[in-house]
Amino acid sequence: MNETNLIRTFCDAAEAVGAEILRPAGSEQALGMIRELATGPVALPAFPSGERLGLAAGLAGLGIELLTGDLRAGAAAAALGITGVNFALAATGTLVLESTPEPIRLASTLPERHVALLDPKKIIPDLVAATPLLRQFHQQQPQNYLAYITGPSRTADIERVLTIGVHGPKELYILLLEGLSDDPLEM
Amino acid sequence: MKTRTKQYKQRVDAALATPKLQQALHQFGDAYLLAREKAFEGFDFEQLRADVAQMKDCVLVDRQQLQEQFIANAEAAGARVFLAKTAEDANRYIADLVRERGVRLVVKSKSMASEEIHLNRAIEKTGAKALETDLGEWIIQLAGQRPSHMVMPAIHMFKEEVAELFSKQTGREEPAEIEHLVQVAREQLRQGYLEADMGISGANLAIAETGGIALVTNEGNARLATTLPKIHVALVGIEKLVPTLEDAARVLQVLPRNATGQQLTSYVSWIRGAVPCDGKAKELHIVLLDNGRGALAESDKCRDALRCIKCGACANVCPVYQSVGGHVFGHIYIGAIGIILTAFYHGLDKAAELVRACIGCRACVSVCPSRIDLEGIILHLRETLGDEEGVGAAKSLVFRKVLRNRALFHTLLRTAAKLQKPVTRGERTIRHLPLFFNSLTEWRSLPAIADKPLRDTFAAIPQQIGKPQYTVAFFAGCLNDFVYPEMGESLVKVLNRLGVRVTFPKKQNCCGVPALYSGDRETATELARQNVEALLAGSPDFIVTTCPTCTMALQRDFVDQLKDNPAWAARAEELSAKTIDVARLIHQYLDAGDVLGEVAEKVTYHDSCHLKRGAGVWQEPRALLEQSGRELVEMAHADRCCGFGGSYSFSSHPEIARRILDDKLHDIEQSGATCVAMDCPGCLLQIAGGLDNRRSKVRARHTIELLAESVGKG
Ligand code: SF4
Repeated sequence: MNETNLIRTFCDAAEAVGAEILRPAGSEQALGMIRELATGPVALPAFPSGERLGLAAGLAGLGIELLTGDLRAGAAAAALGITGVNFALAATGTLVLESTPEPIRLASTLPERHVALLDPKKIIPDLVAATPLLRQFHQQQPQNYLAYITGPSRTADIERVLTIGVHGPKELYILLLEGLSDDPLEM
Repeated sequence: MKTRTKQYKQRVDAALATPKLQQALHQFGDAYLLAREKAFEGFDFEQLRADVAQMKDCVLVDRQQLQEQFIANAEAAGARVFLAKTAEDANRYIADLVRERGVRLVVKSKSMASEEIHLNRAIEKTGAKALETDLGEWIIQLAGQRPSHMVMPAIHMFKEEVAELFSKQTGREEPAEIEHLVQVAREQLRQGYLEADMGISGANLAIAETGGIALVTNEGNARLATTLPKIHVALVGIEKLVPTLEDAARVLQVLPRNATGQQLTSYVSWIRGAVPCDGKAKELHIVLLDNGRGALAESDKCRDALRCIKCGACANVCPVYQSVGGHVFGHIYIGAIGIILTAFYHGLDKAAELVRACIGCRACVSVCPSRIDLEGIILHLRETLGDEEGVGAAKSLVFRKVLRNRALFHTLLRTAAKLQKPVTRGERTIRHLPLFFNSLTEWRSLPAIADKPLRDTFAAIPQQIGKPQYTVAFFAGCLNDFVYPEMGESLVKVLNRLGVRVTFPKKQNCCGVPALYSGDRETATELARQNVEALLAGSPDFIVTTCPTCTMALQRDFVDQLKDNPAWAARAEELSAKTIDVARLIHQYLDAGDVLGEVAEKVTYHDSCHLKRGAGVWQEPRALLEQSGRELVEMAHADRCCGFGGSYSFSSHPEIARRILDDKLHDIEQSGATCVAMDCPGCLLQIAGGLDNRRSKVRARHTIELLAESVGKG
């Protein structure tokens, strides 16, 4: 599959499971989109592509209250959590987050909204294609917490009716932005 | 009757008296199949499941080495691994940990292994509180129940009941709206993660290559329970071991698709070692649970059950499960796999009633992503149970003394044909039976035993045929022989027209399935020998059948029963290779095109379980019916069991059989057809009896009878 097809397949699959795709033209527009979604404090863990983008300064400049640091106390009170994405799987619309650092897990789990920044260059076909990368993560570090995220949190435990947002995020926004990073091992 | 049996029967009756539950499970079954089909679009399910089965079989062989590899890698990553031989060992280890670390609150994400060992009880004995955080698990924890489904634990409950439970919890009146209730759970459980000192999870996979585990979930509670508390305990059945990350991906490709019809669940979490937690390293304990799995691995006949990836599909498609639910058709683990796991993890006694509750339709086998022959294993357990508890005095006498003695068996049947006269009043069906047998005819008429069995009339059937293309021996089976002899006449008529001579080896006896399915293997094996001898005698080109259950016996069971006997094994193989059901014979080897005259009739087709899922035949009879000019309309759930199941509908579970039949009759009538065709005299007995009882206008026939009608016109 070529890059355009991968992106299209990914977007279709992610939308099919209830994620929303946002495609800002550049970083400024991206910041604006995040501001629209930030109805309260924002949990912002540290990750390389976010730092490269100058997220912290940019969002603070827009007057957004940022929660940083270990996030154990903060993330539950955040309206929104922002993370990067290491790479994504087109077939299932899945985001792969190397979330060994605890703040990445907290920001993508506790707030009701999760915004994930993804460079479209880092979309690969599927589960099977992901395995070698998974292995590299395991070789790189002695401990790992890797997360595949496919759409928002969901349950069908009451009368088998699909309901979105039980314990994890109720809304998942995937912000496709070029030039973030082209290394799948880096978030 | 044993107290155990009595209590079980009461539970069956109670479940059958809950139409709301049945309706929910039926709807779920329908929706599930659609979602599943969609999820597997573009994938070759047979290939995927063959790969999973093969991988799991390798794991079984190398389990010792893989386990060591897993432990070494997990420990190198900072985990502590404990091998628990029994449920008690696992409970003790975890309870000790709770005490030693002064844990007051444990948050749990869904784990069937923890249900299996009753871990919550062990935790609460220490004085700590165990809080289930999976929505379904929390609901049943509040209700003080156990799961009725492996993937959807509270599938048996309705929103009103949930609202009541939640209201008690919050002290407010919570409206019975699903979205609201989910929000209540979110708010109520949130604090739990933040306060808990320990999180307990299960695992869907334990990867030897990395020493890590993977959790496949949707709600996000497992992510929270494995992140926030400082201690993480993962309770992992040893059957969850896979060698590599590629093997893990293989399981992931089928598990969500087959469990819930999802391409992938919302979350897959890969956790290896003591990951950071609040600035320190997390305390991670992995409890590897045996609890009967080792014994299962040692059992030749049952070990395939260890391939199970706990997708729950075998329950979703099971007509018995849909009729009575998982609290009746299960112990802790439910459905077909539940029967087997219960026998090994909780004891044969706990599984005894369940083993008999399987109707043998093989619907589960066709959807199992690990390609487990669930029905075959359950049958074996029934035999084991027959050895342990006996087959039942009356039954075993019949099997040993009567069935094995063909002359006596047939004399008895002939006598019965005369004795039944007062109840049949000379008709071909029995609408009422006297006294305690009455319950069998209250919901379906029964056919009378024919005045003369086919074996007595066969020689007189004229066979006008010059130089036959083939000579086939007809294996009639008891129903065809003694109840529906006219079916044999139809068969001769059609096959003769197609250039085939039919013989009837008189020494043929019952195929042995009733004995085998009741757990009397010895009688079944004796019958196998008698039939192999009788049917191969004239060296026919084929042995042709009209009953797919007999077909399975001749093709599969005889081979298995005689395989260790050098005098018989090769002959059983020969018989197996020559056996064919009549629809496939005509479709594959003969040209019925010019012979079948047009009949204007709207017909629907019922797939017999053993024909479709046993012999793989379902297109052939449909093609023949269409060749005969009939208009074929498909009923809904054409391949769902009709509820006959031989002695299942007569003695072991007539109430469930009746419920399953009702579903079938409904689908037949909804199809708009005026005739329902099938290729099994057992299904015919059940369906024709049900239709007659309803005074339905739809007629039920064996395909061969319908073809004989067409031949008459051709
Ligand atoms: S036996 Fe097969 S169908 Fe049943 S739960 Fe296990 S894997 Fe799924």
